[in-house]
Amino acid sequence: MAEIKGYNMPDELYYHEEHSWARVEGTKVTIGMTDMFQKEAGDIVFVDLPEEEDDVSQGETCGKIQSRKWIGKLVAPVSGEITEINEELEEDTSLINSDPYGDGWILVIKAEDEDDLQAELKNLIHGDAVSAFVDREIARTEEERAKAEQG
Amino acid sequence: MGSISDRTGSGEWRLFKNLTHSVSTAEGLAWDDALPQSVARHGSPPILHLYTFIPSVIVGKYQDIEAALRLERCRARGIEYNRRSTGGGTVIMGPEIVALGLGINVDYPGLKKGVGGVFDSLSEVLIRALDHVGVRARFQPKNDLEVKGRKIAGLSAASEADTCLLFHTSLLVDFDIALMTDIMNTPVIKLEDKGYNCFSQRMTTVRHELGRNLSVAEMMEAIQTAFEEEFGIAFREDSPDDWEQNTIHRFIEERFTQDQWIFSHRHPRTRMGVGQLKTRGGLLEIYLSLSGGSIEHVLITGDFFSTSENIHRIENALKWTSALRESIESNIASVWHDNMIYGIDVSTLTDAILLAKQNQVRL
Repeated sequence: MAEIKGYNMPDELYYHEEHSWARVEGTKVTIGMTDMFQKEAGDIVFVDLPEEEDDVSQGETCGKIQSRKWIGKLVAPVSGEITEINEELEEDTSLINSDPYGDGWILVIKAEDEDDLQAELKNLIHGDAVSAFVDREIARTEEERAKAEQG
Repeated sequence: MGSISDRTGSGEWRLFKNLTHSVSTAEGLAWDDALPQSVARHGSPPILHLYTFIPSVIVGKYQDIEAALRLERCRARGIEYNRRSTGGGTVIMGPEIVALGLGINVDYPGLKKGVGGVFDSLSEVLIRALDHVGVRARFQPKNDLEVKGRKIAGLSAASEADTCLLFHTSLLVDFDIALMTDIMNTPVIKLEDKGYNCFSQRMTTVRHELGRNLSVAEMMEAIQTAFEEEFGIAFREDSPDDWEQNTIHRFIEERFTQDQWIFSHRHPRTRMGVGQLKTRGGLLEIYLSLSGGSIEHVLITGDFFSTSENIHRIENALKWTSALRESIESNIASVWHDNMIYGIDVSTLTDAILLAKQNQVRL
């Protein structure tokens, strides 16, 4: 469990720049959205999910997430077949806010090949790089806010 | 036919401005959807689209259109209905309502980051535009612009192609409240029976605020100027090029004229409920619309003492938030001050809202 600048970013997870996370167990990869995303987005009101058995590629938009009146993207952090979706979210999307890495998981992707999966994981943010990613995201936000305030 | 000469976005934006005629919902929405596509994939600088629709009603991407609208009334009155690509709820459009579409990269300098940041940045532009015509508006968290507690413009957005987003606004120069009441399927109809039109209490228009007939053209001019000042850019009036025309036609054919899109069933369940609670501050009567586990909107009525501005502030703080007790309580608390509703506290108001939630039924 790693707390970075007020955001919970668990060490064992892999992160995509678009704020999806991946928990890897063999070739089974559970996907969700980060704590940083849910804090910034506010209450999640709807998740438009793909179907089970759909194939997705790393970096592909595989779902949409509505918070306030904004519709954001769920980007697949790895490639594979969608084998499970979290049906609990149909009734209670606030799980993404209240427990982003637990009950608020969104879907499971089954990677076809372990070597290919390992290669894809290298494209994601993990370990020591996570802290720099959070810093970068915070700096970007603060920079723009400061500029806007000066203007 | 305009050519895209500035592909970097270094200070000149494109403006698609239509003052000649009001457009169909399919046409207007297809133009808007083409904007972020062009910025992301066609090298265009940001594009602002200012126009008006024919009399029509447009639901949010994830709204249940059959629950939101009285479709038979729309058909009988010749009011077009459609579904947009951005979030949020129902908006009535027409020749006296400025429609605004903006395609822009989220990393554009000066645009604040994140969901809240983008809404902030663009609401600042619209507040400035309203100020230019003499209307003092403020941002009503989380999505609307209001004047003294009454909504004057609604904002919505969607992340589209790559890192580009589409931002939508409807700004009320003038508005037909009777039409809205007739075609929207809300508990408001029940309130009407009591001789109380909740929309007229909760909405206002530029013309109403100014007491004069400001033209749609003047309002568009003010919006244009506000963007130029806020972002330090200049507009070049332009029209869609061939690539953009093809994209627009594709969206009209594949999206905005298709029942599969308009009557999409990808949305949370819509339910409504009424809750009545006798309190020491008076009777609280709550009308609640739920979208899945979230509050789409809530109307707080009754015989308590408060101001309409205070009531609308509370209602707005609850819009598009979770309908769980702790969330309702914390959202009310975020705007609450002493005696906001005389004799009623946050917890009692929450109880009344939860009662309406308990009584929810499918429309």
